[in-house]
Amino acid sequence: MLTQLFGNYLLKQHLVSPSHLIEALRESSSTRVKLGVLAIDAGLMTPDQVDEIHELQRIMDKRIGDLMVEKGYLSPEQIATLLKSQKSGHLILGQALIDNGHMTTAQFADAIRQFKLDNNITDDDFYDVKDELTEKMLGRFYKLNGSVAGEEHLVEYVSLLFKNLIRFVGDDFVPNKIEKLDTTASGAKQRIRHGLSAITIIDADENTMVEFASRFSNESLSMNDDYTKACISEFLNLHNGLFAVKLSNNEGLEIELEPQKYYEQMDLSGLGNLYVFPVNFTFGNVNFIVAM
Amino acid sequence: MYSGLKVLLCDDSLMIIKKMGDMLRSLGVGVVQTALDGEQAVRLFKLSKPDCVFLDQVMPNKTGLEALKEIISYHSDAIVFMLSSMGTIAKRDEAERLGARGFLQKPVSADDIKTVLELVIAELEDKTGKDLFKE
Repeated sequence: MLTQLFGNYLLKQHLVSPSHLIEALRESSSTRVKLGVLAIDAGLMTPDQVDEIHELQRIMDKRIGDLMVEKGYLSPEQIATLLKSQKSGHLILGQALIDNGHMTTAQFADAIRQFKLDNNITDDDFYDVKDELTEKMLGRFYKLNGSVAGEEHLVEYVSLLFKNLIRFVGDDFVPNKIEKLDTTASGAKQRIRHGLSAITIIDADENTMVEFASRFSNESLSMNDDYTKACISEFLNLHNGLFAVKLSNNEGLEIELEPQKYYEQMDLSGLGNLYVFPVNFTFGNVNFIVAM
Repeated sequence: MYSGLKVLLCDDSLMIIKKMGDMLRSLGVGVVQTALDGEQAVRLFKLSKPDCVFLDQVMPNKTGLEALKEIISYHSDAIVFMLSSMGTIAKRDEAERLGARGFLQKPVSADDIKTVLELVIAELEDKTGKDLFKE
């Protein structure tokens, strides 16, 4: 989840454009993080030192790790440790941006350092993301500080939502903040009642729904037909059900769900306080809406 | 080895009906009947007496637990497994109290279903004392 928040950070700081970020997210699955980025992220080398090694490699036929050891920047043990973090999402994203020429190594180093500082997170947090940390960061990100009744549950809801998106749909997205809310939505809806009272909605355009449903169902769907709509509705039902389990286990709070349903058009006015969590996937934008 | 089994699958989601139906059929289950709400499930159960029922919890026209109650009161030996994303301890306990044999947390895998079918066969064979389903 920190990777997705880091993606948003790069956007908000105008360090990358939305289209470059989408391109990098798309390529992330085939990107391999290079040792230089790993060393900078771990604070073991400066961007200048990494550039120097890259220059050296251009003229010498040697492996980059060997050159780093020869120059005395890293020990073989440090290299072995660094290579273990090669699959880390935020570094893969950074590497893809560097490979595409949309960021320099130094810009990436600055961005990741500032992101860690701003959010008070350590390197270890990136590799072992705790729920409390994600919830704290999301609370700050969406300015949900629990001042309105039920807001504390919203943070848990969104934190679990992002986990479920990564688990069941894909990690190639960045969370966003709403700029302008339409008064209508189109998509799946499910009401939560009993211990909590809320209406939950997934809203997106047709093409986005088809791709979302394809990924969730692991099938190649081509149109927004009844089956696609059932897949979207089932994702909402699955997520809300897992949220119910979490609430019950962690707080002993029991909620009930009403059957999920798909609407071509829903009127959002009069539903109470609307909280919108837009998610920009590489294939389109999905709004998750909670009315309380 | 499951070709002699008749299974009733009940869920209001077309996706689950298709996915789980495919899983059951690919495991070789002989008859897979489907219902899209609790009321249909009860009606179909009474009509066709399946060997085993998978019941979703959140459904229109009778929830899974309401349907379970009716099925068990009609036939106390019915083998029913609940199927839900909302597998809270309270829901599991209630299902067990009402006579469900088990509770499957969504998303359900083919392995989960296989485990359940093994239990069903063991129970049916135990009841009849015959080797019913081995081929």
